[in-house]
Amino acid sequence: MSAHIPAIIVRDLVKTYEVPERDPGLLAAIRSLFRRRVRAIHAVSGVSFTIQPGEVVGFLGPNGAGKTTTLKMLTGLLHPTSGEALVFGYVPARREPAFLRRITLVMGNRNQLQWDLPALDSFELIRAIYRLPPAEFRATRDELIDLLEVGDLVRKPVRNLSLGERMKMEIIGALLHRPQALFLDEPTLGLDVTMQRRIRAFVAEYNRRTGATVLLTSHYMADVEALCRRVIVIHHGRVLFDGPLSALVDQFAAYRKLIVTLAESGADLKGFGEVLAHDGLRYTLRVPKAMAPAITARLLAEAPVADLMVEEPPIDDVIEQVFAVGTPR
Amino acid sequence: MDVARIIATFARIGILNELQYRANFFFQVLESAIGLATALIGLGLVFRHTTVLAGWTPPELLVVMGIYGVMIGIVQAVIQPNMLRLAQDVLEGKLDYALTKPVDAQLLISIREWQVWRFTNAIAGLLVIGWALLWMQASVRLEQIIAFGAAVLCGVIAIYSFWLILATTSFWVIQIESLINLFEGLFAAGRWPVSIYPSWLRALLTFLVPVAFAVTVPAEALTNRLTGSTLALAAGVALGLFVIARLFFRWGLSRYSGASA
Repeated sequence: MSAHIPAIIVRDLVKTYEVPERDPGLLAAIRSLFRRRVRAIHAVSGVSFTIQPGEVVGFLGPNGAGKTTTLKMLTGLLHPTSGEALVFGYVPARREPAFLRRITLVMGNRNQLQWDLPALDSFELIRAIYRLPPAEFRATRDELIDLLEVGDLVRKPVRNLSLGERMKMEIIGALLHRPQALFLDEPTLGLDVTMQRRIRAFVAEYNRRTGATVLLTSHYMADVEALCRRVIVIHHGRVLFDGPLSALVDQFAAYRKLIVTLAESGADLKGFGEVLAHDGLRYTLRVPKAMAPAITARLLAEAPVADLMVEEPPIDDVIEQVFAVGTPR
Repeated sequence: MDVARIIATFARIGILNELQYRANFFFQVLESAIGLATALIGLGLVFRHTTVLAGWTPPELLVVMGIYGVMIGIVQAVIQPNMLRLAQDVLEGKLDYALTKPVDAQLLISIREWQVWRFTNAIAGLLVIGWALLWMQASVRLEQIIAFGAAVLCGVIAIYSFWLILATTSFWVIQIESLINLFEGLFAAGRWPVSIYPSWLRALLTFLVPVAFAVTVPAEALTNRLTGSTLALAAGVALGLFVIARLFFRWGLSRYSGASA
């Protein structure tokens, strides 16, 4: 695979679901038995992007934005209504075995391991499904067990493992066939912070070792910040932003935070901006991004300023704002 | 063969799973014994009034009962659990992992569940068949055994295909439990040779719910009734149902959208 051929190409991808709809009540229910009214839900409406081999891309968006639907179209689970998706040159919806061998899907809210058996038994099942040569299978398995530091846990019935331990097993199971593209849908869902960090470190290490392409959705910005140099923000089924994380903050953060420490009391900073916090001589102000330089200059000129810091808002706030507004400013 | 290897691996894992619940084994043996006793008492009651039922003697009817046990054992051990799981996975959108594997989806969804203890019904059925053959003092010829084996295979394929069609409807219909109850009710009619039923019911049991092919035809093979054309018809029905079921399943799969996470 040449580095110049993209791993994933998505062009004008559209997915429209038809959902039955009816008014509440018995009569309406009976009526709908005979005449079903359907409403079209535009889950994904014209998404385009290209991902190069080895890239780790964060896929962001609020619930219902179309992230999972896009992921499902890229893994061949859903047929696109229109548009085109290519993964390593394959059309996912055809579900060709050669394609399926090169990808993997991990969903934080689903499990595929046998509940009552040790994970090792489930791994054997996966070996049979992918027809992995025994030596190669054992080497990969032991490497993954090592990397995730799960040791003897693979011999315990899965039902006796903690949520985080179980997720690690799921990840091992999903990677035994050495896929070249990882589709991770909320892989850290519900895990505690330490476990999230471990999984994150693992994904980064796996990407570094194997050069696999990773497309990741997560609600936890920490995941995205730690792993993804590039993010694609999707909202109402459309791409709002595609680029480096830092540019996202630049583009969408409409406000700056000014943290001002005064040399003496008595001054009132209400006239300079919205006061978010006030603690003795220390003020936290929120000002529109465009006006930040002017306000800073005015503060320095007109108030007894001992110290002044300009802060970008945390990425979480920026994302929240992006979703709330829905259009770039 | 890869398919055989995959099936064997799944069966092994299924057995490992069931071994965790040993109590199930004893309950199942008890259930099989009660089921068998009830059936035998029923048969005994019938033959207090008559010695021949639509041309079938008591030991011959015992053969039918035994084959019914074999079939119900196979259905309950493998076919029904897998099809119920399919319907449930479709309903809950949990088919995703099965569909991202480089193995034929129909194969995969058909071999995931193994309720091995249920095979006790099949073993009980085989014992009943053996007992009936001794009673008849029949010498069974080799070609009869081959024909019997072929008829059983056709029967299993027909029943499997029928179940797959039933479970595939869950891509459109939400609840299939009532359909399953209907199947079990109709399949219970297979305890008797279909020739004892009125013609409309016989047609239903032959072509709609393929009980006739699953139970009566194998019984005919062991009781010197089977003609070559009946066996050919059974093979044709099994093949036809299988093709229809496969096409229908693929169509259903293309409609699968999964529950959004």
